[in-house]
Amino acid sequence: MKPDLAPKTLFIALGLAWLLAIWLSLALGPVSLPMMDTLRAVLHLVGVPVAEDDLQQAELIVGQIRLPRTLLGLAVGAVLALSGVAMQGLFRNPLADPGLVGVSSGAALGAAVAIVAGASLGGLPEPFQPYLLSICAFAGGLGVTAIVYRLGRRDGRTSVSTMLLAGVAMTALAGSIIGLFTYLANDASLRTLTFWNLGTLNGASYARLWPLLLVCAAVIIWLPRRATALNALLLGESEARHLGIEVERLKRELILCIALGVGAAVAAAGLIGFIGLIVPHLVRLLTGPDHRVVLPASALAGATLLLLADIFARLVMAPAELPIGIVTVFIGAPFFLFLLVRGRS
Amino acid sequence: MLIANDLGIMRDGKQVVVNIDLALAPGQMLGVLGPNGAGKSTLMAALCGELAPTHGPVLLDDIPLNQWCGPERARRLAVLPQSSTLSFAFKVEEVVAMGRLPHDSGQQRDDEITQHALKAADALHLLGRSYLTLSGGERQRVHLARVLAQVWPGEDGQILLLDEPTSALDPLHQHTTLLAVRAFADRGGAVMVILHDLNLAARYCDRLLLLDQGRAHLSGTPQQVLTPEALKSVFGLDVLVQPHPERGHPLVIAR
Amino acid sequence: MRFTSQLIAIVAGLFITHLAAASPEPQRWVSAGGALTEWIVALGGHSRLVGVDSTSQHPPSVKLLPGIGYQRQLSAEGILTLRPKILIGTEEMGPPPVIQQLRTAGVQVEVMSASAELPALRANLERLGALLGKDGEARQLSDQYMQRLATEHQRVTQLKRAAPGVLLLVSHAGSAPMVAGAGTVGDWLITQAGGLNLATHDGYKVFSIEAMSGLNPEVLVVSDRAQNGVQARDALLRENPLLGATRAVRDNRVVEIDPTLLVGGLGPRLPDAVRSLADAFYPDAAPLSARVSNAQ
Repeated sequence: MKPDLAPKTLFIALGLAWLLAIWLSLALGPVSLPMMDTLRAVLHLVGVPVAEDDLQQAELIVGQIRLPRTLLGLAVGAVLALSGVAMQGLFRNPLADPGLVGVSSGAALGAAVAIVAGASLGGLPEPFQPYLLSICAFAGGLGVTAIVYRLGRRDGRTSVSTMLLAGVAMTALAGSIIGLFTYLANDASLRTLTFWNLGTLNGASYARLWPLLLVCAAVIIWLPRRATALNALLLGESEARHLGIEVERLKRELILCIALGVGAAVAAAGLIGFIGLIVPHLVRLLTGPDHRVVLPASALAGATLLLLADIFARLVMAPAELPIGIVTVFIGAPFFLFLLVRGRS
Repeated sequence: MLIANDLGIMRDGKQVVVNIDLALAPGQMLGVLGPNGAGKSTLMAALCGELAPTHGPVLLDDIPLNQWCGPERARRLAVLPQSSTLSFAFKVEEVVAMGRLPHDSGQQRDDEITQHALKAADALHLLGRSYLTLSGGERQRVHLARVLAQVWPGEDGQILLLDEPTSALDPLHQHTTLLAVRAFADRGGAVMVILHDLNLAARYCDRLLLLDQGRAHLSGTPQQVLTPEALKSVFGLDVLVQPHPERGHPLVIAR
Repeated sequence: MRFTSQLIAIVAGLFITHLAAASPEPQRWVSAGGALTEWIVALGGHSRLVGVDSTSQHPPSVKLLPGIGYQRQLSAEGILTLRPKILIGTEEMGPPPVIQQLRTAGVQVEVMSASAELPALRANLERLGALLGKDGEARQLSDQYMQRLATEHQRVTQLKRAAPGVLLLVSHAGSAPMVAGAGTVGDWLITQAGGLNLATHDGYKVFSIEAMSGLNPEVLVVSDRAQNGVQARDALLRENPLLGATRAVRDNRVVEIDPTLLVGGLGPRLPDAVRSLADAFYPDAAPLSARVSNAQ
């Protein structure tokens, strides 16, 4: 057995990688900016007085395009990875995916409704109209998770295995309704739906960022506080209860966290697969399963990986761009298979 | 002190535990015997608050068990289930240290207790190993160390409930495990242990409770409970009972 | 003093010639809309295009330009690398924050109508003409377009015959053909050419072969994304042998059209397509009038 990385070493390495990814995400893009211009633009954006000559373009691209996109990537990556940890803790299975309780499929259903039938919904007040898709996706994710949770409750307790089955069934049901909407959709809606299902950080703007950043901050602050309780939960629900953990409350909080986190991430960036599954797994391989380390490390690693995937997505097909979900799944799925094969030998 | 009076539990409209009186006193080790399905594990579930009894309260230090708050109860009462499923690669000492979760005795004290508990469960040599690489018996000992750490050292009448703690162990470790539990009781802890091996029960327990279809068939010292008639009636087993040549406790031999 | 003024004159002269040399470089345009790209080329604006979206497939030469992806998933920074002066597209362009970012970056974003209606087309052409400084040509093109459609319409209606029942099938290598229903360009083409679209649903839907045979069309219009010409027709009949029983196949009245005609709105090639369809629908109609032929 190879010795685990000391948490301190891991956090220093992940922290550096995180900072590097942020810098690369600000510095790299289809428009090539001189390194110094990027640096000056960043400094100017954070309020440091610098000479502003010729800075207009750099500041526009860094400030209006790359910075909101980077923030979106950081938040989505961190929240998806944390939700993955929470889900794997809840199901006490290191290979659980945050989509298991139906958040993603519910969000996809909400998005399909918004894209295909959005015009006939039309009831939103004017300032919210541009956010129809995000609002529907968020509501769909929360709604389906609430149903799955409700189905898993019996005699004041939540049965995780019932939730798993209910999640599978609800995902299938949502899938068939999405199929119906796909059938009814015209070509343009169909393509929008397809692209949404592949996820993208493209088109990030500050106005759309705030709700996600709030949810993200809440999840990042709250989940690590329950790290030791999550550790105990891995022993088993009754074992955790005997250790004095209020298991029912913990499960409720975890589900709420996952629903809010994944719901907000998906509403902001579409479906981005495998981050929630792979990142916690990777972190555990490096440092062991202690949640006091795994939670913050996964947040850092998730954000880093998503930013790197996004840099790839925006560069590889420039001036067009690849949906990021393609990149994450393309990297994530072979890695997952590698873990499966390795775990068996 | 954990006390149950006239305890009854219904499951799916069926009485699985009926009319049980018991008290777990400091310094005592109570063995629970009975055939499969006699209600032993159900009884234990009621005693640790996992199942709400349909009749009769369970009192921990004169306060109903369900009125205790989680961490406080956990500092008084530890439970070792028959088997645990843990599919994450925690290190052995991390698993044992989880027993210290309800306490805030500090990292240093927790580490000491973890060491003591591992040693007591004869698992100190497993230090640093990943839980997932352990054999079934080794895992069982690590969990024993975990619950020992939770109520260590047991001087204040802490309570330990064990469900077949020796089921996966080799003969030597069956004894080392029960010796560790005995030592816990001798320090002032109260123990209830479900066992299938009648001779182990006779060797280590102060009192025995023989369950039959949810009812107490007999209760008392090993000498009072382990009689050929009782064992014939409850297990349907023809046995000879003789005193142990060296220790004097009853020795049960199948005919 | 004289020397100084001479120097100034020389320097100024150099500067001005430099400016003069820079000005002929055409405005850089990016087009995000198949039909709009075709119209820009038809109006002689090909040299201005520096990038097109994935719906711009015609003429083939535009496919050599840098691709900016799908019109609803544009990338602000990607487009900025092309340093465009103008981005032209329909109201389907998006996502909205990207369009906003491009505007902030100083790109002139021209949003036109995506509707497959003639008045919308006329307005779009007018705007394109104004942008290209070719108002006259644009108006002429637009007039010709309307006139040719009107002529075709007149040519087939003057026969005063019942319109033939038509189905338009879009397939991929012959399999799973989808039928063009109401609101599609396919439906518009059939109607303009004097046919009766037997399909009355909205959009493109997969029909069972049984249902198609039941409608028993007199003419089949086929369009294949993977193959063209006779191959498309053969592939369709090979994959769906039941179609052989329809009147259209029995009477050998199966016409192929280019699938790129069917996407991106009303493009400049549609009148030609209408004419060839009308010829297929009414084989005995009078030949085209000389006036329209001249306009070719």
